[in-house]
Amino acid sequence: MKVGLFIPCYINQLYPQVGKATLELLEKLKVEVVYPSGQTCCGQPMANSGFENESEGACINFVNNFKDFDYIVTPSGSCAYHVKKHYNIIQQTDDVIKVRKNVYELCDFILNVLKIKNLGASFPYKVGVHKSCHGLRGLRLGSSSELVIEPYSYIEELLKEVEGIELMPLDRSDECCGFGGTFAVTEDVVSAKMGKDKIQDHLRNGVEVITATDVSCLMHLEGLITRNKQPLQVRHIAEILNSTI
Amino acid sequence: MDSRDTILKKLKANKPEFIALPKINPAVFDENIDKVKEFIRKTEVAGGKVFEVTDNKEVLSKTQEAFPETKVNFSNLDDSGFFNTIDSESFKNPHELNDLDVLVLESTLGVAENGAVWLTDNDIPVRVIPFITKHLVLVLPKENIVPYMHQAYSAINPMDLDYGIFISGPSKTADIEQSLVIGAQGAMSLTVFLK
Amino acid sequence: MSHSKLAGIFNKDEKKVDWHDKALWFVRHKRDLSVHQVKGWEELRNLGHGIKAHTLSHLDVYLEQFEANALKNGVQVHWAANGDEHNQIVHSILKADNAKKVVKSKSMLTEECHLNPFLEANDIEVIDTDLGERIVQLAKEKPSHIVLPAIHKNKLEVDELFQEHLGTEPCDGDPQYLTGEARKHLREKFIHADAAITGVNFAIAENGGFVVCTNEGNADMGAHLAPIHIACMGVEKIIPKQEHLGVFLRLLARSATGQPITTYSSHFRKPGKGVKMHIVIVDNGRSKQLSRPDFRASLHCIRCGACMNTCPIYRRSGGHSYDATIPGPIGSILSPGKDLTKYSTLPFASTLCGSCSDVCPVKIDIHTQLYKWRQIIGKETPQPFIKKKSMAAMGKIFSKPSLYGKVGAVARWALRTLPKSLINAWPNIWGKTRDLPVGPKKSFDQWYKERENNKKTDQK
Repeated sequence: MKVGLFIPCYINQLYPQVGKATLELLEKLKVEVVYPSGQTCCGQPMANSGFENESEGACINFVNNFKDFDYIVTPSGSCAYHVKKHYNIIQQTDDVIKVRKNVYELCDFILNVLKIKNLGASFPYKVGVHKSCHGLRGLRLGSSSELVIEPYSYIEELLKEVEGIELMPLDRSDECCGFGGTFAVTEDVVSAKMGKDKIQDHLRNGVEVITATDVSCLMHLEGLITRNKQPLQVRHIAEILNSTI
Repeated sequence: MDSRDTILKKLKANKPEFIALPKINPAVFDENIDKVKEFIRKTEVAGGKVFEVTDNKEVLSKTQEAFPETKVNFSNLDDSGFFNTIDSESFKNPHELNDLDVLVLESTLGVAENGAVWLTDNDIPVRVIPFITKHLVLVLPKENIVPYMHQAYSAINPMDLDYGIFISGPSKTADIEQSLVIGAQGAMSLTVFLK
Repeated sequence: MSHSKLAGIFNKDEKKVDWHDKALWFVRHKRDLSVHQVKGWEELRNLGHGIKAHTLSHLDVYLEQFEANALKNGVQVHWAANGDEHNQIVHSILKADNAKKVVKSKSMLTEECHLNPFLEANDIEVIDTDLGERIVQLAKEKPSHIVLPAIHKNKLEVDELFQEHLGTEPCDGDPQYLTGEARKHLREKFIHADAAITGVNFAIAENGGFVVCTNEGNADMGAHLAPIHIACMGVEKIIPKQEHLGVFLRLLARSATGQPITTYSSHFRKPGKGVKMHIVIVDNGRSKQLSRPDFRASLHCIRCGACMNTCPIYRRSGGHSYDATIPGPIGSILSPGKDLTKYSTLPFASTLCGSCSDVCPVKIDIHTQLYKWRQIIGKETPQPFIKKKSMAAMGKIFSKPSLYGKVGAVARWALRTLPKSLINAWPNIWGKTRDLPVGPKKSFDQWYKERENNKKTDQK
């Protein structure tokens, strides 16, 4: 099994430790991982802003970089979802179809492709799970609170196996944090208010560390936490699953 | 071309290719509920009261007990002469029914899943009356309670209906700061007697 | 004004935002409790979706069938291509019988057509009889929610309003007292009304009847007392058969408020004694929306308001921030179809979180449609020069790996080196409320390359 690692643009540039944790984790699980050097971005920032057409180059570049892998794994539910759902704007060649089918968010890949639950991690903190929307309602990494189906959560299944961790339930289990890409800037007031409320929910419920499948949500929350000097930390889920403290 | 034809022509031109109509299979929703219990529970949640009685006589005596001081009463049950303070003459000008205190009507259909009671023109002397009355009392045979809306509509002939209404609980509103207030524009209380 | 500007105004009073958010979240919570008690809820949603999709694919036929049956029932049927024609028709019906006093129950369609100001300009009194609508009418405002029209007002504001218009005593906003006073006030209006206007929740093709749902009983009070009943409906309100009400009435109230059914579900078919019944069927842009494959499912909407209650933006920006008849997520996919430029900010008033689509009782893919409207807006409306250029530049950078590496290095350097005050200053809107991450020295790219090189050195 040959896995191509996709590290989203903002993780590459701003949160390289998340990329490292993802790579180390996959290597720990004996996966043959390659990081194609020509990768850039999945194209979502332009597309979500209404400029899908400007993202075609990014899409094509993505497919060219990952077409030869059995699976493409990324520490971002949002990017994986974008490739799966919105790569219908470029010509549907065999390569494109293959890439769209085989792109996986990290937890999804570990649990449902590798079929591993216990990763030997330990993380002795009270953790609040932020269920990033594109992972939750796009990739269906868990049951959203709106649907009347058997509850499940891939993320929590993996986290429950982490030694020392205490998962703290929230008042609103899956409300959006307010990042939303360019929404964070074009609707900055509501975006910040959403993030602030989200943080309060975690604080109210005794959370020490917020985790998520997406750094974008965490970057937004961390920005507010730092600005308001609140006693919370953020960690991408790869960092927790790769942790042995 | 008038608007009717223009609209229909546009809709015809713009509609998608034919999509088949799905079939409703009520069995999918069936939970084998205790219909009477569920009906009582849902009516109470909707703000109504439910009593079980043996016959219409008991309905009227219990109604009088519940509303002892009322001036204007009407019931369309048999042998309601002693209870009624108005007669069918009064219905000729429904605008004058504004002071009606208690109205007793008989229904032939109730729904367990939501406590709704069905009334049609056959059950109502004049359409406004279940709304304009202060207190509404409905009588429903237990065996006429169906579990879900699907069964309710199977029991109603669409071609033989002039006017019909499902009533579940008393009139209510939460339009002022989301505080629930019973008694908005319709009846201020609902009592259902199951017999 | 853009949605974000109006949202900014609403957010000046954070306590009010918190109240608004919590009140609507509570409604969403009640919806959850209610739908989780229904076995087969998701199947019910599938049916709701399927029946509506079928109906749209056969819409002209069903409307003709409905019309023929309504005529047989003794009801007069009118057709209006747009809001103006709708208003003219209603006015001509009223004028024919010299009706001067009208009571109206909730109808988003008449809001959409701006019927009230039209009739008032023609010397006709129109009283909205739904309590929430009466409140906003007295305040000379518009509903901010389709099910809870006055959710943006607190009880003290209602208290003051009623003192001024209904002559009530000051009561510290006691809802019981205020509702009681409104009841008295509206009773008078019902009794003296010359005509009643209602909306239509569902119109049934097979028998020409229609259903109106209320909790207050105001639609029936109006329609049964007045000698004229005018029911106004959009073309999309049609359903094929009465049995389909079994699906929609199970979905509607549970999604709207968590009630298993509204207090009153009135089935009108033939006029009552001495009553003239009219139905006005309105297009007003709906046939155009039907022609758009990506957006026609927006016509499935049964106006439950669940997408508003669940929307984290709506709850924190208020209904008026959408500046449209139908606010919230569903409004943001309907409104651009009417006026793309005017409503061009609405599809962006969303994080595309998808909660609206999952909560929708008829499974409208709302967030997907928001995304699709964005693409059309990007192409067809004038966009800010900077946005256009930066999108094109980003597109170029991301399609060329070599360019991307260089730009990233500069950005990290800037974040690491420049003072926070500068980084978080204008034009960096991000920085108004949030810090930016500290720029790491190395990108993942660089770290990985070094690691690979070290591996090679080790192997040698």
